[in-house]
Amino acid sequence: LRRCLVSVDMRLLEKSFQEIRRTLQTKDTFKNVTILSTLENLRSIKPVDVCCVTNNLLTFYRDRVFKDHQETSLEVVRRISRIANSFLHMQKTLEQCVHRQCHCSQEATNATRTIHDNYNQLEVSSAALKSLGELNIFLAWIDRNHQETSAT
Amino acid sequence: DGATILPAPQNFSVRSTNMKHLLMWNPVTQPGETVFYFVQYQGEYESLYMSHIWIPSSQCSPTKGLECDVTDDVTATVPYNFRVMAMLGSQSSAWSNLEHPFNRNATVLTPPRMEVTEHGLHLVVELEDLGPQFEFLVVYWRMEPGAVERVKVVRSGDIPVHLETMDPGVMYCVKAQALVKTIGRHSAFSQPTCVEMQGESLPL
Repeated sequence: LRRCLVSVDMRLLEKSFQEIRRTLQTKDTFKNVTILSTLENLRSIKPVDVCCVTNNLLTFYRDRVFKDHQETSLEVVRRISRIANSFLHMQKTLEQCVHRQCHCSQEATNATRTIHDNYNQLEVSSAALKSLGELNIFLAWIDRNHQETSAT
Repeated sequence: DGATILPAPQNFSVRSTNMKHLLMWNPVTQPGETVFYFVQYQGEYESLYMSHIWIPSSQCSPTKGLECDVTDDVTATVPYNFRVMAMLGSQSSAWSNLEHPFNRNATVLTPPRMEVTEHGLHLVVELEDLGPQFEFLVVYWRMEPGAVERVKVVRSGDIPVHLETMDPGVMYCVKAQALVKTIGRHSAFSQPTCVEMQGESLPL
């Protein structure tokens, strides 16, 4: 599984996020609320579930976050487009790579549900803004679980 | 309607070489006037999930030229739609759309240019700098019967790379190909370049 996403340019993804992170997080007024925090304590998730969690989160961003976010800055729009299209490519690559071996345990399903529940607690544009501002958590998850340790 | 009497740009096409992507179109001419062009794009995400969204290209919104470098806009290996419009004052043309979506995995990869030199006893190669997406596979061998080919992966161009310490009087040959991980493709090999270190070969 670790080799599935080797063609993804993580460096560009992280750069695109860093360039808009301050703008996004400045506009986020719900500082003491988090949506993706559950990902940080998923260290115990079994390797067999990594594919499911990754795929579920790519779908979360694809179907909810990128659609719900309203953006006026053209520079931010361009970078979100980079990330959204890279996620689309990543999801296709993942699906082709693992075929139907993307097993979802109860734990993985619960983790994803928690994220959706957190999202639903907030008004939709605030939730989308916060989820974009927390992309670093998801990108770190992908780096930890999908990139070869020697990747530069 | 006075706003749309300009003709739309014709022959709108894309040419991509070594991950540099260039849009081109024919001029829209208005005697004595300067016509501007606006280029917009949609990645596959936008066309599938937010089809009303078109993003102005980072380099050409507007431009007076007849070309547009969209390399910085095409940053994922998915199909991209492009369109261009001509504008003159309040007059604007209809949009011309690219006939087929463009995917960067269709870029033409050329064999990399390289310079092979001997620095004292050392065989050194310097490769063309093609940008951060490129790595290179360098293959080198001694020009003698039964010689074994050796391989080295070079992470970026423009930096001299030491291949081997040479024996005097022996001919060494080098060839290279460009690799692009993000599209999972590589170029053909370059023509081999051979150099010989001066001086006699040592008696056995």
